[in-house]
Amino acid sequence: MPSVHSPRKGRINTDIMKQCLGLCDQMLADLERAKRPILKATKCSLDNSLYDHKVGFLTPGDKKVSTELNVSSVKKMSRSVFMLEILLRNLETGNVANKRELYYVSKGEIKHNQILKPLDFADQDESDEVIDFICEMIEAYREELNCFANDRGGQTYSQQLVVTETLSDGTEAVIDLSQLGTSPFQPKNRPQNLKLKAKKKIDFGIIIESEGTANTLVANGFTKRHNCIVVGSQGVPSNAVRGWVKRIQDQLKVPLYFFGDLDAYTLQNIYRTLKAGSASSLIRNSDFSAPEVRFLGVLPEDIKKYDLNDYSVNERDVQEARSLKKARDALQNDPFFKDKRNKGLAEILEWLYKSKRRCEQQAYYAVAPRDPQIAEKIIVEKIKKGNYV
Amino acid sequence: MTKKSSKSEPASTPKPRGSKKITSSSTAEYFSKNLQQVGFSSPTKAVLTTVKEAMDNSLDACEDHGILPNIGISIEKLGAGTMKNTDKLRIIVDDNGPGIPEADIAKVFGEYLASSKFGRGRCSRGQQGIGISAATTWALQTTATPVRVITKTKDQRKAVTCSVEVDLKNNKGITRDRQTIDWDRPHGTSVEFIMEGRVQLNGEAGLLSYLRGNVLVNPHMTLNYNLPEVGTATYERVTKDVPHVPDATEPHPHTMKLGEFLSHARLFGRTKMQTWLKTGFSRLSDKVISDIWKEQKLTKALLDKGVEAASDEELKSVYAAVQATSLMAPSTQSVVSIGEDAMSLSVERLGEIDFFAVATRKPTICDFKPIQVEVAIARIQGGSSESDEPVQVLRFANRVPLQFDKAACAIVKAITTVNWRSYGLRQPKDALPTGPYILAVSVVSPFIKFKNASKETIDASDELVEEIRRALMQAGQRLSRHLSRETKAADLEEKIQHIEKFGPVLVDTLVRITKSPDKRKTAAYEGLKKILGRDTDEAQTKLASAETALDEANLARKKRLKAFQDEDSALEALHAPPEEESEPVEEHSEVDTTADDSAVESQPRKGKKKSKDDILSVFAPEKSSKTAATKAPKKATNKSTSKKAAEEKSTKTKSAANKK
Repeated sequence: MPSVHSPRKGRINTDIMKQCLGLCDQMLADLERAKRPILKATKCSLDNSLYDHKVGFLTPGDKKVSTELNVSSVKKMSRSVFMLEILLRNLETGNVANKRELYYVSKGEIKHNQILKPLDFADQDESDEVIDFICEMIEAYREELNCFANDRGGQTYSQQLVVTETLSDGTEAVIDLSQLGTSPFQPKNRPQNLKLKAKKKIDFGIIIESEGTANTLVANGFTKRHNCIVVGSQGVPSNAVRGWVKRIQDQLKVPLYFFGDLDAYTLQNIYRTLKAGSASSLIRNSDFSAPEVRFLGVLPEDIKKYDLNDYSVNERDVQEARSLKKARDALQNDPFFKDKRNKGLAEILEWLYKSKRRCEQQAYYAVAPRDPQIAEKIIVEKIKKGNYV
Repeated sequence: MTKKSSKSEPASTPKPRGSKKITSSSTAEYFSKNLQQVGFSSPTKAVLTTVKEAMDNSLDACEDHGILPNIGISIEKLGAGTMKNTDKLRIIVDDNGPGIPEADIAKVFGEYLASSKFGRGRCSRGQQGIGISAATTWALQTTATPVRVITKTKDQRKAVTCSVEVDLKNNKGITRDRQTIDWDRPHGTSVEFIMEGRVQLNGEAGLLSYLRGNVLVNPHMTLNYNLPEVGTATYERVTKDVPHVPDATEPHPHTMKLGEFLSHARLFGRTKMQTWLKTGFSRLSDKVISDIWKEQKLTKALLDKGVEAASDEELKSVYAAVQATSLMAPSTQSVVSIGEDAMSLSVERLGEIDFFAVATRKPTICDFKPIQVEVAIARIQGGSSESDEPVQVLRFANRVPLQFDKAACAIVKAITTVNWRSYGLRQPKDALPTGPYILAVSVVSPFIKFKNASKETIDASDELVEEIRRALMQAGQRLSRHLSRETKAADLEEKIQHIEKFGPVLVDTLVRITKSPDKRKTAAYEGLKKILGRDTDEAQTKLASAETALDEANLARKKRLKAFQDEDSALEALHAPPEEESEPVEEHSEVDTTADDSAVESQPRKGKKKSKDDILSVFAPEKSSKTAATKAPKKATNKSTSKKAAEEKSTKTKSAANKK
């Protein structure tokens, strides 16, 4: 694995602080010599994405975006350095803050120092942009700068899983998921810090696009009848969900399946992101993707097999139309779908693009309307028969 | 027009119940009950429409007789009106026009649909002969006072004065109190209305907006007014060119319906078919006619037959044949244009203007009618470009300002579809651009399609909107040169500010983070200044080139304008029309001195004599300020900078860069 893919395995706060100090020192030295400081960041876009099935996720190519100090960028750079100072202080003291809180922290700093007035952020979008820029500059995750988002999704159920979390004060919290009833466990902040253990052998893990459906399955006894982990992803997986699934894959080494709608959006934006990361997060895909996850369904063949209700794509719906267009682009340009190993997935995408049909995950409930366990039965049957891609 | 018997009819014998008598009523009766249809829908509009109708008539009459119009408007409050929120007003509109022959006075002011212009297919302001009679009716209805007219033609020794009423029953004007008096001018007309109304001065529908509009599109007019609250003001004419309103061309056969075609034939009596077609229509030459005959297989005999002898069937076959043939589009010669140069001079009369651009399109055919579109865009001095107020739109149809019902108008539709952002104006989506601009659009055509009888909205056909759009885009491109210079200057200013604002913060923070000594701080600060100084130099170069481009454009226009003015005075020297020799004393001096160029503009404005150069220099206002600015620094290196502040700062940064 090339080193660039996981540059920060084991990286700790002091490393990042050292890197930031080095960067600032370099900028200062450039300025002293009347040389324009140039900040280079990895270009995070599809045209700079590489995919190798042996690696399993999208990795960055050689393209860089460089920002040179000039009259137009001096404002952005001043703001970045200003925000960096706040973030470094947080790292030093171990404080955490989300983006909105950082926005107000910056406001407060400016309020008490009139010289900083020109840096003032008009709204949170502006400060968010600066935080993202800093992350790209030093190639760090936002989480590594103690800036956490309120990640949605990731509600997890299992009768066998035990999670151990080391808290910032050094104490440990042990969570036995079997003790939570129908309440889910939900990973927050940095799931990479969690330690997982199985009380009993776990046969498989299933990630379900709809958290509602995940909850229904569990409430109907799915986790009682099967030794498994059920995770709801709630649409496009957040960083916490991606890191969490990766953690399950690496630490428990159980087969993982994704179950969601059959449409272009799910396949490209939800499943692909979960399995191989995304083009906009190239630098973090190594820790935020689980290449072992297989696509359980809904598969195009399931529609016929189970006589599922499907719909034609509403091309007047902006989002659906965009997804279709994106599907065509993906087939031509996305290295993930172009890879031979993912031919099966590319075929599904092509089928979606050409047939313009879609089918929802809940359609399984139409197969036997009086059997509340019908979806569970089909899922298990598909796993047993290897009916997935 | 059939109407039920009106209540006003006296002594109508009571009819048995259930039986209703059908009577006809006069045109005057109809309009007197429907004054709202012709612009008298409220006391405010009544005042505006009265002024407008009188002024349109004056301007039309002057143009027809090649007279340079001097128009006076006076509105005086005489007390409270009887209607709610109204005043009793005296409105006087007077001109130096040709005067009205005594026999016609009653017709002009007291009879509906009595007009010298109806259906003539010319680009005159008035068309039907309704407006001024409606104003008389309004005055009679509100104050029971007839209008007072003074008029004198050049052949009369004394002026005639009389009052005029409308006899609604018979649609006739009645004159009373006729007297002859001595008057202060060789010819002209003055009309005085005593009516109730409300004077609205400001806003888009205000009187001032109407008068300003008229000033803009009539560069040859001198206007005096005396209005309540604002007092008196004078706008001197800026050209001595009386626009020539071309005569109508013959009708184009494709614009005619069958019935019109047949009645047109009857007008020609014993003319041969061929001659009738050739002379009675445009675009039908002998060659075209013989082609039609061949193509449509009509008999040779029909061609030689007298029109009166031709049966309806035969005429119908000719009509069908002509309609089936494709003909050249109608001629565009019947439109009258203000001209870019005259409009340029006229824009200056609107007040303090930063800069402006005008565009006159060539006459063209829209919806099979000749049409010409002209546009002027001016930026008002001192306004903020960031302003969210929409631009002031002045709309003109045949040089008459349109003030109501803006949204549905072809002109507004065209304005909103232009992407003004590309010319440097701000514009919300699908809306008028914003900022301190006046955007004037004039559409001239002998056949303007209005949406209503009071002529307030031009019907928006696709072709017309597209033609207006093109004119606007042309003007927009010209305006963008000015704006480009401005944005470049603002850019430079912003960059200089950036250095001052962000430089210290950047360096200070870096020093704090790295915990560096003061020595590094000083060095870094110097270095930063050098780097950013190089950038401002670059911005300065860009500004310089934008200014050069603007200067060149201004120079070219100035040359053209000078040529135009020379031509103007030469023309006038040629004409020095005999009828003008009998002009009153104050006009005399003007005519006598036509040989002297500068004296042509001798009407002193604000007491100061204006030489031609003065007028030229106002054309490029930034030019004069620039010469002042470039004089200030010791070495007037180039004309790159106009903003003093920018210059001072830039010399600082420049010298910093040079030190290195």
